[in-house]
Parts: sequence; structure tokens; C-alpha cells
Amino acid sequence: MRAPAEVALSLGVVALGLGVAGVTATLPSEGGYAGIGPNFIPAVVAAGIIALGIWLAAEAFTGGWREAPEHEEVFQKNPFLWVSAGLFAHMALIAWAGFIVAGTVLFACVARGFGSRRLARDLAIAVVITLGIYLFFVKLLNVGLPAGWLAPVLGGAGI
Amino acid sequence: MDAFNALIAGFGVALQPMNLLWGLIGVTLGTFVGVLPGVGPALTVAMLLPLTVKLDPTGALIMFAGIYYGAMFGGSTTTILLNTPGESASIATALEGNKMAKAGRAGPALATSAIGSFVAGTIATVLLTLVAPIVVDLALKFGPAEYFALMVFAFITVAAVLGSSTVRGLTSLFLGLLFGLVGIDSQTGQQRFAFGVPELLDGVDVVVLAVGLFAVGEALYVAAYQSRITGTVEKLKGSLLMSAADWKRSWPAWLRATAIGFPFGTIPAGGSEIPTFLSYATEKKLTKHPEEFGKGAIEGVAGPEAANNAAATGVLVPLLTLGIPTSATAAILLGAFQNYGLQPGPLLFDAQKDLVWGLIASLYVGNVILLILNLPLIGVWVKVLQIPKDLLYAGILVFATLGAYSLHQSWIDLLTLYVFGVLGFAMRRWDIPVGPAVIGLILGPLAETQFRRALSISQGDASVFFTHPISASLLALTALLIIVPWLVRRFRSTSS
Repeated sequence: MRAPAEVALSLGVVALGLGVAGVTATLPSEGGYAGIGPNFIPAVVAAGIIALGIWLAAEAFTGGWREAPEHEEVFQKNPFLWVSAGLFAHMALIAWAGFIVAGTVLFACVARGFGSRRLARDLAIAVVITLGIYLFFVKLLNVGLPAGWLAPVLGGAGI
Repeated sequence: MDAFNALIAGFGVALQPMNLLWGLIGVTLGTFVGVLPGVGPALTVAMLLPLTVKLDPTGALIMFAGIYYGAMFGGSTTTILLNTPGESASIATALEGNKMAKAGRAGPALATSAIGSFVAGTIATVLLTLVAPIVVDLALKFGPAEYFALMVFAFITVAAVLGSSTVRGLTSLFLGLLFGLVGIDSQTGQQRFAFGVPELLDGVDVVVLAVGLFAVGEALYVAAYQSRITGTVEKLKGSLLMSAADWKRSWPAWLRATAIGFPFGTIPAGGSEIPTFLSYATEKKLTKHPEEFGKGAIEGVAGPEAANNAAATGVLVPLLTLGIPTSATAAILLGAFQNYGLQPGPLLFDAQKDLVWGLIASLYVGNVILLILNLPLIGVWVKVLQIPKDLLYAGILVFATLGAYSLHQSWIDLLTLYVFGVLGFAMRRWDIPVGPAVIGLILGPLAETQFRRALSISQGDASVFFTHPISASLLALTALLIIVPWLVRRFRSTSS
């Protein structure tokens, strides 16, 4: 077995296909004139995913996936985690702290993940960008974005 | 002459001040994102989709077309000046363009690609104007069985024939088809794969999938594997002007590339990767200066860049006339039409004459604006190229989350976005193409509808797909596309 990750992914695809098949079994099959119901295409998709998973697994067990490019770079955990942390913080903050605060935190985390060590600069740029976006979309295009903590300063939608 | 009159009327629409403004915003934005490494037209259109729901559809679609087009122009700047090509369609340009820039001939390289893109884009738009009405007439004869067969053909070419691996392309396609099933079945009202989550009842939105796969996935990938690598931007030295010899060598390359690129764009063969390489190979074969190839031959920039743009325009033929997207960007453009309750296809040419022809006319206008934007203003775009990676990706993710959040104002969409981001990261890492997934998501539900409609009409008799001549030949062609390459490989491996 040359590539454990490929084996794991292939088996994951098979498992996904089995899951889809399981859900499909709960769908009704009556379909009027066509003779096929809302479960027909899901069944085809489930069968396809299972078959592709088996095909991938067969390649993985016999020397690895075919025609895969060489991958030499090493996975760096910290940048990946910083970007992820930024996205989760944004998810948690946006509804109550507002778009500008959430966006600024996201911006700073991602920049940190990409190696920036200048927090003050990143925060300043982030506030300018998110404030610009907020004013443009909320005041000009009337797209709703949460003001959150800054609501007293920003006011409502529309100029 | 009908098409000619319609086009004149279309210019009337495209030249209205507001539409002209949207077109200008579109091509400027498109050039900007085309220049940015790591951001493509598919991503940009996807991010802007939810933010433009309140615009009038003609203006919004003109803007989206401008982004699509502008990104093609802008991409070449990055390819020539930076040593890492932004998108697969630019790899051929990078072979010669970056070498020219290293040799201090960045100016002529940028000029031949901008002028070549303009020439090819304009000729291809003329071809689009001429070909579209013919395809529309043909498409009016299509029933559900024919449409279904055509979609199967598009699925197979995009997923199985292109790309390095058939099985990985098909896996991506089937993931997209699965996401397309989520939500309420349009024919019976049955909930499928929604698990009672209200956000999922509407189905997986193309914005979340595309932005997740392209923006979040790309950011995670670059962070994890390349955050310490910096590209070197070549300096723009000397004159932008092409010498008489440059012109003489570029002209035939532009025209040949248009002839290669446009037809490849119109058939469902997945965009512009193949025609750019074909054009590069053609120029390499026909050149009188073979010794320059690999060291910065101007034909090697002129050809692929022109082919790229001709193919990009060609993609609009099946998109507008049949409603069949053949690249990820086209799939998202189709999503934009659907947002406005419009279904591209032969009927759209009748029902929304102004919109369709206004859009086509805007392509002519856009090409002219792009030529002006890209040559005299090249210095601005070079500056854009110098935005450091940390700020670039931070900014991309602010916009990416903005697009996803404004769909339903719900954090569930942001979570889905992250899940697709991790999926996109894994697909990028293990060389699974993401385009087929986006096409599967958009085209899958349409294919299912046509399939069930065809069977309803035939009272459940599945032979309709094989007794209708157009449908039968498309399915036969699809089967050949799978079997022939497989047989060839089989034959090669046994004989060696």
C-alpha cells in the first residue's frame, strides 16, 4: 500500500455512496406516467459513487492513483489552522458582533496564517475594507448586512 | 438578416448609459481579478451573484459577461509577469510569455496578448452572432430526450475525457450530481437529502459550492502548502509597442488560434485548456523561428492567448442557445440566469430578445474597453500583481464569506462554505478536478427533469433515448468517447 491517504479517501467515497444508498431507500418510488419516482436518479448516483469509490480503491491498492502529480511540499498545520480559526470566528461573530467586526477578525487571522506579523497594519486595512464594503452594499445596493456592535455608529440601511 | 437586425437592437440595449456602466464595471473588475493570482472568473461571478439580486437582469448579466471576459484578458498579464500561471488555460502562454518577460520583452508580450485577445474575441463574437441563430433553430427541434442525451454528452466530456484521470473527474461529477439532488424534488415535492434543515430545502446553492471549492479551498491549500513561497514579478521594462516583425509574426498566429479556439469552445469540451495547447503546438510547428521556442517566441504568446479568448466566446454558444454550460464559469453564469428566473435556451432568444442580443452586443463593446484598459493602463495592473499574499488571501476570504452569508443571512451557509472549502482543499491536494462538481450541481437537476419528462411522454418506455435519431447519435458518441481512449490505452499497454 503506497498511499494510505488515497486508500482512506477511496474508502470514504465508497462509504459516502453507501450512505446515499441508505437515504435513497427511504424515498418513495411511485412516479406517475414516467414510471420512475424521485428515488430513481438518487439510486443511480449512489450506484455511481460506490462504483467510483471501488475503482479509486483498486487504483490506490495497486500502486496509487494513476497520473497523480508528485506532491513534495509538506503540510503546514499552523497556517491551515489560522485560516480555519478565522472562518469559524467569523461564523460565530457575524450575527451579533456584525459584519465589520467579524470581517476584521477573519482578515487578521487569515493574514496571520499567511505569515503576517504586523497585526496593527492588518487590522487597519481590514477595517477600511470591511467598512467600505458595508457602506457600499448596505447604503448603496440595499443588501442587508448585520451592523452588530457598531449599529449605533452606522445607522440603518439606505442613505 | 434577422440576426443582424436583432444585433442592432442589441447595441441599442448595450449602449444605454447604465448598461454601458455595468459593462465597464464588469470588465474592470474582471481584469482586476484576472490579474490577481488565485482568483478566477468563476469565483468572482459566484461571489457577486447574491449581491446583485436587486439589479435589473440585463445590467447584471452584462456585468457578469464583462467579468468573464475581463478575467481572460487580465489572466495573461499575470501569466507573463509572474512565474506561476493563474489558471490552466494560461499554462501554454506561460511557456513563452514568462521567458519573454525575463528577456526584457514583457511589453511586446503583453501587447500581442492584449491585441490578440481583442482580435480573437471580436472575430469569435461575430461567429457567435452568426452561429447562435442557427443553433437556436436546431434546438427548437429538441425534445426532452435530445436534451437529456446532450447533457449526458456534456457530463462525460467534461468529467471523463478532460483532465488527467477519468475516475477522478467522474468522482467530482458525481459529487456535484449528489449536491444537486439536495432539496425539494421539482416534480413531486419530495424532500431529498435535506434532513429537515431549512437552509438545505432550497438545495445546495452554486454560490456556496463554487466559492467554497475555489476560494476557501484554494486559500486553505495555499496556506498549508505554499504560504512561504513568493513568486517573482518581472519588471515591465522598455516599450510596450510591438515592432514590425512582432506584428508580422503575431497576425497569422491570432487568426489560426481563433479558428482553433472558437469551435473547441462551442462543443462541450470543457473550456479553453485544449485549444490553447493545440494553438501552441500549431505555432511551434509552423514557425520560421523554431530556435526561439522555449526561450520566448512571440507566436507562442500570441496564439494561445487568442485561442483562449476565442474559446471563451465559443462557450457562450451552447450556454445561450441550449442552456448547456461547458465550463465551471459557464455553469455559474447559468446560475446567474436562473437567479432571475431565466432559462437560457432557444426560447430565451424569443422571449428575452433584448437581454440576449444586448448581452451579445455588450461583448463587442467589452472587447474594445478591454483593449483600452489593458494596454495604456497596464502599469496599474502590474501594481495589483504586487499585493502581498497575506493581504490578498485575507481579502479574498472577506469577499467569499460575504457572498455566502448574504444568501440567507445564516451562519449555516458559512458552515457549509467551510465544509466545501475543506473538500476543495482535499480535491486540490489529491488532484481531483473541481470543475465537474460545479457543472454537475447546476446541470444535474436539469438533466433529471429532462430524463423524467422524456419518460413521462413515452409512458415509461426507456427506448425513447435510443429511437430518436439525435438522442441516439449523441449517446453513441458519448459511448465512443469513453470506450475509444480506453481501448487505445489497453492496446498500447499490451503491445509494449
